[in-house]
Amino acid sequence: MVKVQERRHLVLIGNGMAGINTVEQILKLAPSTYRITVFGSEPYPNYNRIQLSYVLEKSKAVEDIILNDWDWYLENGIELHTGTTVTHIDTEQKIVKADNGIKVPYDTLIIATGSNPFMLPVPGADKEGIVGFRDIADCQNMLHAADQYKKAAVIGGGLLGLEAAKGLLKLGMDVTVVHLFEEIMERQLDHTASLMLQAELESQGLKFATGKQTEEFLGDDRVSGIRFTDGTTLDAEFVVMAVGIRPNTALAKKSGIEVNRGILVDDFMRTSVPDIYAVGECNEHRGITYGLVAPLFEQGAILAKYLCGVETKPYEGSVVSTQLKISGVDVFSAGEFMDAEGLSIVRMHDDWRRIYKKVLLRGGRIVGGVLIGDGKESSRLQQWIRTGTVMTEAIHDAIVGQASVETGNTAADLADEEIVCGCNGVTKKHIVDAINEKGLTTVEEIKVATSASRSCGGCRPVVEQILQYVLGDKYDSAAAKQEAICSCTTLSRDEVVTAIKEKGLITSKEVRYALDWDNPEGCSKCRPALNYYLGMIWPAEHVDEKDSRFVNERMHANIQKDGTFGVVPRMYGGVTTPEDLRLIADIADKYNVKLVKVTGGQRLDLLGVKKEDLPKIWKDLGMPSGYAYAKALRTVKTCVGSQFCRFGTKDSMGMGIILEKKFERLDMPAKFKLAVNGCPRNCAESSTKDIGIVGNEGAWEIYVGGNGGIKARLAELLCKVRTDEELLEIVSAFMQYYRETGKYLERTSEWIERMGLKSVTEAVVNDLDNRRALAERMEVALAQVKEPWSEILNNSNLRERMFEEINVSTKQD
Amino acid sequence: MEPILNRNEYTYYLVGNVDDFTERLGRVVHLGKDKIAVFKTTDGQIYALENKSPGPRGGTIAEGIISGEVLFDPICDWKISLTDGKVLDPDTGQVRTYPVQIHGNEVRVGLLKNEGGLLHE
Repeated sequence: MVKVQERRHLVLIGNGMAGINTVEQILKLAPSTYRITVFGSEPYPNYNRIQLSYVLEKSKAVEDIILNDWDWYLENGIELHTGTTVTHIDTEQKIVKADNGIKVPYDTLIIATGSNPFMLPVPGADKEGIVGFRDIADCQNMLHAADQYKKAAVIGGGLLGLEAAKGLLKLGMDVTVVHLFEEIMERQLDHTASLMLQAELESQGLKFATGKQTEEFLGDDRVSGIRFTDGTTLDAEFVVMAVGIRPNTALAKKSGIEVNRGILVDDFMRTSVPDIYAVGECNEHRGITYGLVAPLFEQGAILAKYLCGVETKPYEGSVVSTQLKISGVDVFSAGEFMDAEGLSIVRMHDDWRRIYKKVLLRGGRIVGGVLIGDGKESSRLQQWIRTGTVMTEAIHDAIVGQASVETGNTAADLADEEIVCGCNGVTKKHIVDAINEKGLTTVEEIKVATSASRSCGGCRPVVEQILQYVLGDKYDSAAAKQEAICSCTTLSRDEVVTAIKEKGLITSKEVRYALDWDNPEGCSKCRPALNYYLGMIWPAEHVDEKDSRFVNERMHANIQKDGTFGVVPRMYGGVTTPEDLRLIADIADKYNVKLVKVTGGQRLDLLGVKKEDLPKIWKDLGMPSGYAYAKALRTVKTCVGSQFCRFGTKDSMGMGIILEKKFERLDMPAKFKLAVNGCPRNCAESSTKDIGIVGNEGAWEIYVGGNGGIKARLAELLCKVRTDEELLEIVSAFMQYYRETGKYLERTSEWIERMGLKSVTEAVVNDLDNRRALAERMEVALAQVKEPWSEILNNSNLRERMFEEINVSTKQD
Repeated sequence: MEPILNRNEYTYYLVGNVDDFTERLGRVVHLGKDKIAVFKTTDGQIYALENKSPGPRGGTIAEGIISGEVLFDPICDWKISLTDGKVLDPDTGQVRTYPVQIHGNEVRVGLLKNEGGLLHE
């Protein structure tokens, strides 16, 4: 018998970005080396802590900043203990103990406990209403305070303090930033930059009390104000302490691991105790503790390799950069920023435009820079600083010049291990490998494959340079940019849709005029696309432009190669009656139909109908159009289900008919197919449908993004629901989300690959508010649809001009 | 409808009023044995072309999308000039055109006399 080697047990203390990023790297390098257990004090899966300020200013919900959802842990076989704090490490027995009594032995232990906000040790600091700004709970505290109180003080004029202050301001509080020094962000900005930033923030409504040292917090149980050492006071009902962070070393210290300011580690993140490592903000490396995201990813990458036995160079420290995440203020700082001897400085200061740019050179090489008011070049500047690029005319022009100048591609200078995407910890090598292994050709594809540039998008120019560098001659700059919707314009789908909404454009003529189309009447690509986008955005206001419809959608029938048409009436859920069948048979005879075909969508197609006979056949049929020609819901294919089938657990025919009746006639970006099955035998073939629904005992499974056509793709599980109401709401939200974000003619199979199943799930399943809002917008759109065959029958003018041909005799009588 | 005689080599036939045609929507006219697609542009110009796609897959052109004086073939998406029937770059080909006269409100399409148009010697 083969003895299976027991997998080594890796325990991670700290469920944050540093630790989980390390685990992700380990899973990539050697997926089966470790059995993994993770402890986290917070009751959430790993989230993007640097985006907490977005949650505070309410531009993102907590769910939006989750990096690894619960399923990720499950899929990777990770045992996760959230809301659980490890209280002791027995380094002799190699066991960790948690506050809820759990004891877990480890072979390898990673400490990634991060840092704590530093609370000023002054009298009154324990009063109610004084919080740090570190985690989701703090964020929720602040949101809650903003509802109840008016006056807030933020102590600390650094990055974190300013973000918190701006967030509270946006929530309607009266906010004063208290800072020990005369200048805010004095650790990242020089005098000029600091004053400009302060002026900008003041103009937005923030108040500042600089050069103030806090002596005491006033108030009874709850804080009511602050007294400073100069004797002055400030009223404050709510105080956020953001004076700095301290590595969270308590557990390590207690367990006998060597600690200075942080947990001491060597160049491979090894602590003083064998088999115990520390990564991220909790550690101290070569005398430095880091409080920013890029270093912790760099450390994580090296630790992961070390633990997987992959050769790695040692960690030698990081160049840190700072970017202020406050809407409306561009602030960037990296490397050296203060004037000093031995530095040459390129400086541009424009008080009128409120722009300040400074690049610091040592021996001609770029070693630091500050950008205020215009951060366009920040990602490239950061790259130049990291690689110590030599200043050139082109770079000089790009930074301080007026015209935008091609600065050449410096991607080759980047080391493989450089973190390109700070939000998601993606290195240059990840990107290069993905391009080579998967044959990627666009930034969008790289985004999907590696997550680079997925979050804030700041690194997109660098990602594009890497793509260009790897592909060489094969690089297609046009394809790499967002594809223009047609050759009449350079604008992409998203740009056009945004402009339609922002400028309130209602007709396609207005769009072409306002957006400066090259071709005033458009082309066969943009005309139908614009007609769709306008109808999607303005369901009640936009008038369908028949002349912009493809022939089939205009004639409401399928044109055949001989110029005749196919007629497909609705047969909801593929269910019919003897009466309807008799009627269809009689009509087929009456109009001398050339062929009757049972379609793949479970209905009948009458083929070989003359154009002028179409309205007559519709009239005789008296049935609604089956939309077999349209970029819309085609059919809902069903199996027999519980009404008759021995295996059926759900009434698939009933549900299919409800769905088809609810969503028929609505314009979609492309054709749309549904299936409903009564049991997992899946006789109605859910896996190749845009939405495939599978009934189980007590639940419906919803699969999405399937396609049985040109590019076959199996549908993926979106979610499982218990009730019919939930099923309808999620189907509705999914269809509306696709309508709102899909490119015209893009099937869900391509759309879902572009968007990512995860983000779609988040938008239409998990985010309940968004899901409801989508379903509501869907109802508005559905309220506008009309049955097209009867519309044409009731409009003699339309009927005549569109369907009747003119006969002129040339014979003279 | 009555044939209208012309001194040139074409015989012009009344095919309808200007209002019988909708801007940017083609309409089929059977003129004797000829099948003609008649188009009205946004500017009100009327053009008549043989209702036959120049592309490799055949089919008709009356159902195409009209942009200015260009027709997008509904089958092969080639661009066809309404003014002279020429297929525009990058494809090549020729669609037969028919002369159109507008007299007041009347639209008349001409047939070559030796091709089915009325000979009147």
